Amino acid sequence: MARERFMQHRLALASVFVLATLALLSALAPLLSSYDPERTRLLDLYEAPSGTHLFGTDSLGRDLATRILYGGRVSLSVGVLAVSVAVTLGTLVGMLAGYYGRFVDGVLMRFVDMMYSFPRLFLLILFGVFFKGMTPAVIVIVLGMLSWMTTSRLVRATFLSLKEREFVLAARAVGASDRRIILRHILPNSLAPIIVAATLGVASAIIAESTLSFLGLGIQPPTPSWGNMLRDATSDMEKAPWLAFFPGFFIFLAVVSINFIGDGLRDALDPRHAVKASQVR
Amino acid sequence: MKRTLSVFAALAMALAACAPGTGATTASASAKASEAPVKGGTAIVAIWQEPSSLAPHYANQTVSDIVNYGVLEGLADTTTEGEYVPTLATKVPTVANGGVVVKGSKLDVTWELRPGLKWSDGSALTSADVRFTWEIFMKDPKVNNRTGFSEIESIDLPNGLTAVVHYRSLYAPYPRNFVALMPKNLLEKEADISKTDYNRKPMGTGPFKITDFKAGDSITLERNTNYRFGPDKPYLDKMIFKSVPTVEVALAQLKAGEVHAVWNLSASQTPDVEKDAAMALQVVPGPTVERIELNTAVNKENTDPNSVHPVLGDLEMRKALLYATPKQQLIDKLLFGKASPGTSPVSQGWAAYKVPQEGYDPAKASATLDKAGWAKGADGIRSKNGVRASLTYTTTTGDQLRERVQQVLLDEWKAVGVEVKIQNIPSSVLLSGSCASKDPRKLGTFDMVQFASAPGIDPHSTVEPRYSSKNIPTAANCAGQNYTRFKSPEADRAIEAAGATLDQAARKAAYATALKALNDAYVIIWLYDRADIDGRRAELRGWAPNTWQRFTWNIGDWFLKK
Amino acid sequence: MSRYIVRRLVQALPLLLAISVVSFAILKVTPGGPLAAYEGNPNFTDDDRIRLEHAFGLDRPLPIQYLSWFSGFLTGDWGYSFASHQPVLSLIFERLPATLYLMGTVFLVVLLLAIPIGVLTALKQYSAFDHVVTGATFTFLSTPTFWLGLLLIIVFGLDLRWLPLGGIATSGAPFDVGDRLRHLILPVATIALVQLGSHVRFLRASMLETIGQDFLRTARAKGLGERVVVLRHALKNAAIPLVTIVALDVPELFVGALVTEQIFGWPGMGRLFWDAATRSDYPVLQGILAVSSTLIVFANLTADVLYGYLDPRIRYS
Repeated sequence: MARERFMQHRLALASVFVLATLALLSALAPLLSSYDPERTRLLDLYEAPSGTHLFGTDSLGRDLATRILYGGRVSLSVGVLAVSVAVTLGTLVGMLAGYYGRFVDGVLMRFVDMMYSFPRLFLLILFGVFFKGMTPAVIVIVLGMLSWMTTSRLVRATFLSLKEREFVLAARAVGASDRRIILRHILPNSLAPIIVAATLGVASAIIAESTLSFLGLGIQPPTPSWGNMLRDATSDMEKAPWLAFFPGFFIFLAVVSINFIGDGLRDALDPRHAVKASQVR
Repeated sequence: MKRTLSVFAALAMALAACAPGTGATTASASAKASEAPVKGGTAIVAIWQEPSSLAPHYANQTVSDIVNYGVLEGLADTTTEGEYVPTLATKVPTVANGGVVVKGSKLDVTWELRPGLKWSDGSALTSADVRFTWEIFMKDPKVNNRTGFSEIESIDLPNGLTAVVHYRSLYAPYPRNFVALMPKNLLEKEADISKTDYNRKPMGTGPFKITDFKAGDSITLERNTNYRFGPDKPYLDKMIFKSVPTVEVALAQLKAGEVHAVWNLSASQTPDVEKDAAMALQVVPGPTVERIELNTAVNKENTDPNSVHPVLGDLEMRKALLYATPKQQLIDKLLFGKASPGTSPVSQGWAAYKVPQEGYDPAKASATLDKAGWAKGADGIRSKNGVRASLTYTTTTGDQLRERVQQVLLDEWKAVGVEVKIQNIPSSVLLSGSCASKDPRKLGTFDMVQFASAPGIDPHSTVEPRYSSKNIPTAANCAGQNYTRFKSPEADRAIEAAGATLDQAARKAAYATALKALNDAYVIIWLYDRADIDGRRAELRGWAPNTWQRFTWNIGDWFLKK
Repeated sequence: MSRYIVRRLVQALPLLLAISVVSFAILKVTPGGPLAAYEGNPNFTDDDRIRLEHAFGLDRPLPIQYLSWFSGFLTGDWGYSFASHQPVLSLIFERLPATLYLMGTVFLVVLLLAIPIGVLTALKQYSAFDHVVTGATFTFLSTPTFWLGLLLIIVFGLDLRWLPLGGIATSGAPFDVGDRLRHLILPVATIALVQLGSHVRFLRASMLETIGQDFLRTARAKGLGERVVVLRHALKNAAIPLVTIVALDVPELFVGALVTEQIFGWPGMGRLFWDAATRSDYPVLQGILAVSSTLIVFANLTADVLYGYLDPRIRYS
């Protein structure tokens, strides 16, 4: 049923295709491009897009298309991994709060309130200054730690509504352990909103990573990420506008695909629920 | 005692460098007026940093100086040749003109003020303001630093125009001690100057006075009607320093004619300016050399100066790194020719040492390493006796030009079989110059570090602390700046000899000996001599270069051609 | 209802206290420190560092530092910037007007556009208009703000030269409304296009949900005109969730749009925060964090209360 609904969402389907292509191209980057993404060529600076360099070359003579592919590896995997951290953490907190309720719930939810009350971009910047010269791993953790709260609220809500339902009570009556009840009976029922929130979360994490890198606080060169490529391009905006166009376009392409997929998933899995896609400004 | 001697030598040099009482000629008058200046108009200068404070004792940013050149004046100034000229004083005191008296290890300096000087509010400037300036620097707990002032024992004021400054040591740079005077009448009753208007709108004697400070937006200067060269100067009625977010936006605004001048363009922007006749560049070669210093001791905290770095301890390895460094290409491609290859830390002035290091030759680099027993492994990286040629390369985070240089060199060195990993650190740590703040140069926790630091006007203050083996920073004594852990008896002897004589020719020869020994040890790769690059609209005239100061130093001479 | 508000207010206090402690702690563990700005200066000695640490009170134990900040905060003395020595409160008030001006305009523009567009797309679901709007909203929702800003600068500032490249007004020129507005266009467009996307999506979804509901069918059956049905009944109900979202936007009025302010050189709160963050200027950062998190807490509270007030089906106990 859900699958059929998703398949009817043509844009979402097309987006899955686009995103899969992007991911595949990035993963196969070494096979697709004969250029080394970090090899500098001082004789070929700022070449406009052409047959030899599809997207031109950058300020150090590196093939931009190649760097986009390698940058995609970083940007996409940072997005996915950051959300994995966030979903794991959020599910854990939501489960504990929703299932045990009372004191545990009170403490955890106040903590969630607190995390919500910090302006996220400000915290990101502070962490960026803190870890100046962030590695992808640190960015994943920082982004994950700052974006698990929505998941935890969603999970908690389903747990609160499900834990008194007949099938849970029945399981408890036959002596099932808390662990079994949580993992086998309740959690599968809360997957739908988690999946939707996680998908949209990937989009927002990709934008957050690129914003940080754009501000110079994210992934450090020579490792390419779409964000730090854009940062490098700003000083050459007039000389070589393609340097600013392509990385931004690929961020956009990835994010818009993910948003469409998220939208399709929501229609399919969870037609009543609306999650606001939050964006870092 | 040795220290006293060398300081004395430095002092002697400083004295010799002083122009003998040049009377009415001032620093600003030396600007060549090739055409008749036009009076009136407003010039807008784009600045892409914002001064947080303009008060001379708090200000700590170059951008504060840029603004303050229009407002504040001191007793003496520096010409582009590195000579001192009087500003508010009638002459620069020297031993020869009797203004300086050496008493053992102490120093008395007598400054005579020009008569009739006025602050921009019209009140008289007297020698009491000179003493007051010193008192503020010593009294205010929030003052940035007390360099020079802490060497002063007392100041006598025989009359309203004379101040006798008693130094407790032979403080050689005394002519540049009082670079900005502070008004006693305005400030003496203030308990905390940081809470007054003066913090943002300091009062001075310069061509302009600050009339408006809009945080994050602009700082407006208007003509000082009490300026001592008035009513002729300044030529402009108004100067606006406009905050822009980045140097890229600054250039775009210069092109669009929204601003008349831009501070500190990056080299990659210069072609844009050069191809447009409506704009002009001023490229001033500075005395600062960008370099890579190689750690010859083991890379660890509080390293033993006598330990040997497993890779960089090998002279042949250091040579190969130099041979594989394409200085000229970096300059041509990344700096757009707006610099010259570095040769030594003393590139300007009478002691300049300009023997170039060997040029770029990757084949020679490979051959050198082959011969020295560094054999290439399967991955193309060399090793010797089980030690892999793998190094870290550190510079300040977020500096685009340095990052670009790093990425090119990383590649060049990889091509000759040396693996290099970039490990950048924020400038607040890397350049902190303090063991407590974990400056890796001080602790010895680096392999290769790229940075630049300005030399002193006297070469001794550059050569001695940086290259004498006595000045290798250690846990016990963190003060030295010999970061490569360079140890050469020959250089030590030469530096000592240079510090013990007053003979300029002998000193120059001695420094050359020391610097040659330094270059023969291949511990530093001199990348390039940095230049200050400022851009302006063609109609803004009256600019003059000054190696030792920033482009607004003669702002009173600027004018807008109609 | 009022008991509910009081309870929420009481709950907010420990929350705010915890936030201030945590943000204080975060700032304190950040390396570099406020004296980092001085350390590039070759004349800055260890003695200077010790003296300044004392002058700024950084040599006291952390709990004391926090308590002295906190008591000052309550009495309106928010401390002094380490960099400029200006009072934090006056630094904030100096930047606030520019941010309110920018974000207030964005706020109005977004509301004025989002409501009619959202309603129309819902009424004409699956029409060409709906598809175009949906496509556009997804496009802008998915565009990184800084990239959109850069593209707008390249196109309208550098290429076409229609609009200024940044700043709040032309320097040195007398006040001029037209000039102010021209400076406003690009930054407002940058933020508004992105925000508009999410608001339109939201309103469309909730309109669609409302339109299908029984009470509208009843209204129609009673013979009310379609216009009345849509505006009086449907919009009113659909607007409820929008109100809460708008309430959540309010803290942004204060905090500003950091990246956009940075790109356009807007002299507002975002740049103040950025400058302070890069200089580790603790008192300024602490002040901004305190105000913005307080605003967020109260915006959430207001949103919840409004929600309950507007939608009688929701009861708070």
